[in-house]
Amino acid sequence: MILQILVTVGVLLFVFPNLYSSFKKKSLTPTAFVIWLVCWVAGLVLIWFPHLIDLIGLSFGVGRSIDAFVYVAIVYLIYASFVQKLKTNEISKDITILNRKIALKDINSKDKKDV
Amino acid sequence: MNNKNIYIVLPAYCEGKVIKEVIQSIKNEGYNNIIVVDDGSTDNTYDVSISTGAITLKHTINRGKGAATQTGLDAAKLLNADITVTLDSDGQHNPKDIVKLVTPIAEDKADVVLGSRMLGEKGMPKSRILMNKIGNWVTYLFFGVLVTDSQSGFRAYSKKALESVYTSMDRYEFESEMLGQIKDAKLKIKEVPIKVIYTDYSLNKYKHHEGFSAQGLLNGIKMVVRLIENTLIK
Repeated sequence: MILQILVTVGVLLFVFPNLYSSFKKKSLTPTAFVIWLVCWVAGLVLIWFPHLIDLIGLSFGVGRSIDAFVYVAIVYLIYASFVQKLKTNEISKDITILNRKIALKDINSKDKKDV
Repeated sequence: MNNKNIYIVLPAYCEGKVIKEVIQSIKNEGYNNIIVVDDGSTDNTYDVSISTGAITLKHTINRGKGAATQTGLDAAKLLNADITVTLDSDGQHNPKDIVKLVTPIAEDKADVVLGSRMLGEKGMPKSRILMNKIGNWVTYLFFGVLVTDSQSGFRAYSKKALESVYTSMDRYEFESEMLGQIKDAKLKIKEVPIKVIYTDYSLNKYKHHEGFSAQGLLNGIKMVVRLIENTLIK
C-alpha cells in the first residue's frame, strides 16, 4: 500500500505537471499529450487494481497476463529503436550535407573566381 | 596530355605530418590542381595544406572518408574538372601512377578507372589480401559489382562519371556504394595496377584498419553492419 501511495503521489506531483508544461511549451503535440496522459492514468489504475492485468492478459489469449506486457514492451522497444535509428540517420545525413555546404562555400566565393 | 583540367582530390584527417610531402610529390608529377578536404582534423592539417597553395576545404566536424571524398568530388565538379583523381592523403599511393588512371579516361576508353593493389601486386601482406577479398565479395553481395580491389581509394573519374554519382555513405563503405552507382549509371569501369608505398607512417596508421587484427576485423564487421543498415534504411 505504501508503495502504491508513493508512486501515485510521485506521478501526481512530478509526472503530470511535467507533461502539462511540455504540452504548454508545445514540446508535445496534443495527440502525444493525450497518449502519454492515457498511459500514465492506465498505469495508476493498474497499480491500484492489479487484477485488471489478468483480464487484459486473458483478452489477448495469453495465459500469464505479465507475458502480454512483456510481448507488447518488446514490440514497442523494437519499434522505438527503429524510429530512433531513422531519425539519427536523417540527422547524420543532414550534418554531412551542412558540413559540405559550408566547406564548398569557399569554392564558390574564392576559388571559382580564380579559375 | 594536358594536366590543366585534371583535379586531384585528397580527403585528409589528421595528416599534418605528411600532407605537405604528399602534395609536393603530386605537384612534381605536373598536377597543380589539388583539392584537400580536411575532414575535421584536430592537428594542423588545414594550415599545412593552405601553406602549400592547394585548394583547401574544411569539414567543421569529422564525417568520415566517404563524406570528405564526396565533398572533394563536388568541388571538382564546381571547378569544371575534366578528370578527377582521388588519392589517400597519407602517402601510400604513388603519384607516378596517376597517369595510368587518367590515360584510359583521356582516351575515352573508360569513365571510371580503379587503381587496384591486387593486380600484379607483390609483397602485399597476406592478411591484407584476405581482407581485400572479403571486401570485394561484400561489395558484390550488396551492389552486384565484382572488382579486384573494391576498397581502393585511388580512382579516376570522367566528367560524365562525376555527374552520375553521389554517395551518401560517410565512412569507408562509400567505396562500395560508389561502385554500385557506377554500375547503375552504366559507366565503363577499368582497373589498372598500382603500387602501394608501405611507409612506417602508413603501416602504423592502417595496421588497425586493414590488418588482420581484432580491430581490423571489427572495422570490417562495422562496415558490413552499416551496409546492411543502409540497405534497410535509406
